[in-house]
Amino acid sequence: MTAAPPHGHLHQEVPSDDPRVQLDEAAGVFEPVPPYPPRTEREAEFYTLGDGEMFINMGPQHPSTHGVLRIVLKLDGENVVDLDPVLGYLHRGVEKLCENSDYHHSIAYLDPLEYIASLFCEWPGVLAFEKLLDVQVPRRAEYIRVLATELNRILSHSMFIGWMALDLGGLTPILYGLIERDEIAEMLGALTGQRLLYNYLRIGGVNGDLNHEFMSRLGDWMSRATTQIEANTTLLNENEIFVRRMRGLGTMDKETAFRMAMTGPNLRASGVPLDFRRAHPYSVFPELEFDIPTREEGDCLARYLVRIDEIKQSLRIIDQVIHNMPDGPVIAKLPRLLRPRPGRAYAAVEGPRGQYAAYVISDGTDQPFRMRIHDPSFVHLQAVGVLMPGHLIADAMAVMASLDPIMGGVDK
Amino acid sequence: MTAVARSWSRLTLAGKILFTVVPILLVLTAGLLLVIVLAGKPIVDFLAANMWLVRFVVAATAVLLMSVPSAFLIIYMEMKVIALMNLRIGPDRVGPFGSLLSVVHGLKVLMKEDFSPTGADRLVFTLAPVVVYMSAVMSLLVLPFAPRIFGADFNIGLLYLFAIGGLTVVGLLMGGWSSFNKYSLLGGLRSAAQVISYEIPLTLSVVGLLILAGTMSLNQLSINQSGWFTNWYVFQQPLGALIFFIAATAEANRTPFDLTEADSEIVAGFATEYSGMRFGFFFFAEYVNVFVVSGLIVTLFFGGWNAPFAWPEAWAIHLNLDPGSLGMGLLFGLLLIPPILILALAAPFYVGRSSLPWWQALIIGFVLFNLLVIVLIGGWAFISLDWVAGLLWFLLKSYVFVFIFVWMRGTLPRVRIDQLMGFAWKWLLPASLLNLFVTALAVIVISPR
Repeated sequence: MTAAPPHGHLHQEVPSDDPRVQLDEAAGVFEPVPPYPPRTEREAEFYTLGDGEMFINMGPQHPSTHGVLRIVLKLDGENVVDLDPVLGYLHRGVEKLCENSDYHHSIAYLDPLEYIASLFCEWPGVLAFEKLLDVQVPRRAEYIRVLATELNRILSHSMFIGWMALDLGGLTPILYGLIERDEIAEMLGALTGQRLLYNYLRIGGVNGDLNHEFMSRLGDWMSRATTQIEANTTLLNENEIFVRRMRGLGTMDKETAFRMAMTGPNLRASGVPLDFRRAHPYSVFPELEFDIPTREEGDCLARYLVRIDEIKQSLRIIDQVIHNMPDGPVIAKLPRLLRPRPGRAYAAVEGPRGQYAAYVISDGTDQPFRMRIHDPSFVHLQAVGVLMPGHLIADAMAVMASLDPIMGGVDK
Repeated sequence: MTAVARSWSRLTLAGKILFTVVPILLVLTAGLLLVIVLAGKPIVDFLAANMWLVRFVVAATAVLLMSVPSAFLIIYMEMKVIALMNLRIGPDRVGPFGSLLSVVHGLKVLMKEDFSPTGADRLVFTLAPVVVYMSAVMSLLVLPFAPRIFGADFNIGLLYLFAIGGLTVVGLLMGGWSSFNKYSLLGGLRSAAQVISYEIPLTLSVVGLLILAGTMSLNQLSINQSGWFTNWYVFQQPLGALIFFIAATAEANRTPFDLTEADSEIVAGFATEYSGMRFGFFFFAEYVNVFVVSGLIVTLFFGGWNAPFAWPEAWAIHLNLDPGSLGMGLLFGLLLIPPILILALAAPFYVGRSSLPWWQALIIGFVLFNLLVIVLIGGWAFISLDWVAGLLWFLLKSYVFVFIFVWMRGTLPRVRIDQLMGFAWKWLLPASLLNLFVTALAVIVISPR
């Protein structure tokens, strides 16, 4: 935002016949300009608003800010002139918590970072720990990891479709999305024991082998997943109002996307086929066949359609994983107390929102000396400053929804 | 503390209400009796000479009393229908299939705190829901529900409806401005822009119809469309009906044009700061407006209270029941027929299921007997009384359109404000002008004076 103007004039007394203070005497004393100088930059800007401009506080209890995000919007009529996202309402200090617990415990703290795609928050941490410890993960465990995370990706994207529609005023798709989400959550609940915060990945493998309930639920769901997702998205894809509102909205070209460090579907919607599963292969992804869907437009509609294409690719991956699932143990044999050699490790995975990464420094004790988490939601949230200004307040919400940030990941 | 105050404070809430209301009622009754005794004759004479006044007061009261239950019905319908479209169950706790939930909502908003935010303009803030609700109820006054069942039959009925409908926006603007909230302000200004823009195509779309019909009285318009459904104006004015439907959706602030209370953008629009019964008035007014708009579409384009078919005169059934001629037979019939029918209806259940106790079979027989009587009386009324049939047809057609509004809400996302305005000015306005010109040309060419 612009710098604070000189505010010498604010020291003067407000005359009592100023029309701005004659609001409602019965309701109490109301002073639009307090007698002290502005304490913050934003406060200073508040007193120097132009004609027809106003500040509006969107959040943290606003119905469509995807969690406890607060955006201070500067509006000119309905046009967004400037904005200032205010973070930190959900800060829990996850990184510091991880540094104060041993390696096994840290995984559980990584889970609630993001409550939609929890497995993707565990995975980079686990990968980094494995690099530090130089552990060989059994092949069956790698396949199960891919299976569970791809399911989680579909869960996240089906929720995204619903939220996208809800922020544009459509009431129904969110409930269709919730049905998909619920089926997958039940499935992962059968596999991992929890529906939301799975805490499933372990250093050197996964917590438990595939069980009968999971497999039967998976088979039941896979038999109709394609048609069901197709039916859910048709309600929006063929809706004139939806497409007209999304097309050409919040367009981001390649250069801007690179400059804003976008990753994941938001980058691929701008025409860059960067996917960490292919670019920096990890796990068993080199053995699996899948495409990287991209779009050239870079607008909200492209970001939405790329995610739908990704759901289809995820279904493809799940199909291959089920058919090629090897036998063997699901976790490597490791001591209970881990003391890796001093060193540092970095690991990144491709999540439903982009690059989830962890950077770990070990000092040879049983606790990580330093743990840094890279969350795509935080990086993508800075793009609202580029995308939102110049649009209407209704479009601001659509842009926000199309970037798909989750505040748990932003505030860590 | 005096003795009176102490006794008063010991009363329960019901006692306090009773001790306040009963004396007031007693005084009022005594006063009314006194007025009737002293000046009964002149008052009755005056009322007899001015029957329109009596009729107007009765109609206004009936419409006012009717508006809240009809809003309840539409609210329940919306909750249930959207729930089914969302693959949910919807309300199912209060009453059969949750049908009393909107009544409970009504009681809830009545009991909530009467709250107005700091800095609000109290007077305007209080008056805004009243203005919105009154304009919705006043629109109901001229709708012809059935032959001879309407509040008032103006020769400018349609014009009156548009004028009253335009009053709604004043209330919304008042609410948006006086709430001292920027979201409310945005909502109020949006509603002003939207409703004023859509008034124009709304009004222009029916001008073609008025050229054809030659009257603005809604009652006369309904009479013009009697006979088979091909007489309905929708077949002569399809474009006008479409434009009217779209513009009326925007007028009633319904999805996809519900920008005034867009919950994902401007929290609840003009109603953000409202709670309790003030919000309740806004809420009820919205659903009364939905009913008014549906009724108006039906009246203008879909035949009003006419049935979609007209039997030839020879087929008409005329039931002429004259209870007087039956004499003592009627008395015996009234005494004997119910028990006999109840027993007759209960017998098959008692015989057919041996596990059924006799008293349960009797209850089933009693319920069936009542249903039978209701069906018989209803059928007789439907055949013999034209206003019963008209009312049923009118309500049926209106609720079809209410369902369409609910359906759209369950399906469509919301348009953006510039798309909304562009649609009104770039498409609806030229289309309605085209409709007007084509209709005028056709009238001149086909039926010259």
